[in-house]
Amino acid sequence: MAPALATDWWVPFTQLDDVLVTHVDLVPGETKEQEAWTWLDGEERRRALRFQHTGARRRYVLCRASLRSLLCGTLDCRNQQLALGASEHGKPFATVDGLEAPIAFNVSHSGQHGLIAMAPRGRVGVDVEERAAQRNLDVLIDAVLGPRERADVMAASGRQKLDVFLDLWTLKEALSKAHGLGLSLDVSSFEIPPDIRNGARSGVLWMPGMPEVAWRLTNIGTNRFAAAVAQEEEGP
Amino acid sequence: MASTEERIRALVDANLQIEGRSAGQPLTPDLNIIDAGVSSTDVVAFWRLVCEEFGVDISAEEFAELLTPSDLIAYLDSHS
Repeated sequence: MAPALATDWWVPFTQLDDVLVTHVDLVPGETKEQEAWTWLDGEERRRALRFQHTGARRRYVLCRASLRSLLCGTLDCRNQQLALGASEHGKPFATVDGLEAPIAFNVSHSGQHGLIAMAPRGRVGVDVEERAAQRNLDVLIDAVLGPRERADVMAASGRQKLDVFLDLWTLKEALSKAHGLGLSLDVSSFEIPPDIRNGARSGVLWMPGMPEVAWRLTNIGTNRFAAAVAQEEEGP
Repeated sequence: MASTEERIRALVDANLQIEGRSAGQPLTPDLNIIDAGVSSTDVVAFWRLVCEEFGVDISAEEFAELLTPSDLIAYLDSHS
């Protein structure tokens, strides 16, 4: 049995078919931060020390350690056997004793909330954003939304405008992370399907130029944060 | 005429929250703004504001490689 961290600061958040989403509590805490640090390898510690923002460092360290513990439990390996890497655009992968592990995962954090999505197949992405005011909301609406999405946001008023935007943003970010392009993907080039924009929790999207891949998008937001998961659907 | 560095610094001062940095302070040339704790929404807004300020059209893919002041300033000096 793989070892687990003694202080669990993460809890199962939701299960979507075969995607398990875990919530990581990123509130500062000396004990958990010290314990988390012991789980990181040398490269991860060097990366953590490059963060000049102590909040960003804490979020990275806590998410990374909980990810390692979750992966060790799922893959039944020891932490020392596990290595984490990332593609050119930042899409993560895991190896155990140098062999790529049969698991997809993705991590996102915002403020005091981290989310980790893990699935045994396909590509998966997750995004979370605290429901905090955005100083450049109008710039963002113009930058990342398509015409019908912009209309949806502009039809909302007051606080709802921000909430509608963040729901759309996290759905698009989850998809771009599942796709593997991260910030490199122009998310204004596609729109979230109407059923989700009209309140459905989940729906399927085909991206322009990629008719062979269907993506399942699910809104998993709460009143504390906007959040979404994207997973590549199984082929025919 | 303000230099590229001064114009970028003004945009950073007005739009990005970097812990430990006060408005007007010099930018750390090789500090990646994501490593500085800037959120993804602020990064995207900053990308668009840079394009507007300098009258350039930087793709999302290009901007993802320009996340330090030194890389961004070098790009803008050669493209605007």
